[in-house]
Amino acid sequence: MVNQSDILKSINAALCEITDPELPCSIVDLGLVEDVRIHKGHTAIITLLPTFSGCPALDMITNDVTKRIEDLPQIKSCRVDWIFNPAWTTDRISEAGRASLKAHGVTVAKHEDQLENQVPLTTSVIACPFCKSNQTRLDSPFGPTRCRMIYYCEACQNSFEHMKRLDV
Amino acid sequence: MTNAMDMMLNDLEALLVLKLADDKLFLGHIQSDWTGLGPILEEDIASSSMAQDDLSHALVLYEYLGSRFSIDPDVLAYERLPSQYLCCDLVTVPDDFDWAKALIRRWFFAHYAAPVLDQLALFNDSDLVERCRRLRAEESLHISYLNDWMQRLSSGSKEAIVRLQNAIDFMSDDARMLFELPGMILNVDRPSFDGREELFNEWSSSTHEILSTTNLKTNITLPTTTVKGGRNGVHADHFIAQLTEMNEVRCKDPGAAW
Repeated sequence: MVNQSDILKSINAALCEITDPELPCSIVDLGLVEDVRIHKGHTAIITLLPTFSGCPALDMITNDVTKRIEDLPQIKSCRVDWIFNPAWTTDRISEAGRASLKAHGVTVAKHEDQLENQVPLTTSVIACPFCKSNQTRLDSPFGPTRCRMIYYCEACQNSFEHMKRLDV
Repeated sequence: MTNAMDMMLNDLEALLVLKLADDKLFLGHIQSDWTGLGPILEEDIASSSMAQDDLSHALVLYEYLGSRFSIDPDVLAYERLPSQYLCCDLVTVPDDFDWAKALIRRWFFAHYAAPVLDQLALFNDSDLVERCRRLRAEESLHISYLNDWMQRLSSGSKEAIVRLQNAIDFMSDDARMLFELPGMILNVDRPSFDGREELFNEWSSSTHEILSTTNLKTNITLPTTTVKGGRNGVHADHFIAQLTEMNEVRCKDPGAAW
């Protein structure tokens, strides 16, 4: 008989290898994985949190997770549930995730930073990921995906992306 | 199926959810017409992103209703009779690709959707509450972005102000009908159930907070309860045109999937 905690370990390891389709970060580091359960010994139930309700990558992530987990020898089937409670926030992104995002020019608010429901238009609270200057401004509160905004650095004249942090 | 639909359309709480879902479905649809046509690149992306949000908000609400009444969310979105849609004319009236009209429509609507979501988040149903709280946080981004445009344009050129005012005048009658409620909700013997006046007051005060810093004027009052419009399934011709366009693929190839 296979130990249930061993199965959970192999599921978690597999989830760590699944990259978000739109960000250079695994879904675990991004904080999407809320719960992993085994039902009747060989059915995996993975509970995930969407970043934004309109994220078009949700179906792709569902497929990636289902396929990867069902490939595990101990698992016969996998179900993915998306829930809204708890709400995903940028606070869920791990340090490793933050480092990987930053290396790709995407910044993430620190826990103590102000919330962005009220989008600051001219403040420069976010340091440029390339040159670390604080001479940055919001260029557009809407970016290439629903969870990102576009900032511009006056110092090094680069655009960069910032993960939105909402008060949920 | 028909029974499930009838049950939903006779459920007072469900109707409050459905009218917002229908508004968002049609707003997201008509707003998508602007993709590729925004006046500047950032606005093009913003406008398309907000349309994407509205469509997904409609889906999140249809999924809630679908799970409660055992109806496929796609059937809710695409396969009702025109008289069973409860959206108001504001979200289907053509903007003639006048960007001022598109902006005013979205601005009027975002200030309305936020307090509706606040109301729905007070219901005694954790599934609905969790969904609405999430959508409400996303709606805040729309409001803040659209307010910013209103303030920038209204402090801009004379032409910008004239065009905004014309757009406000054009959209006002339809904006007023946001606050129409399905007859059965109005007739219900629970005075505070509809929340109609509270909604209107909140909408008025949050829109006037912005307008008071500009030279723009509105004159919108709560519609009388005898006027019947979209919330009671009585739609203008442009609603049918939008519905037909939206359903085209579904009608040609029922059950098609990406």
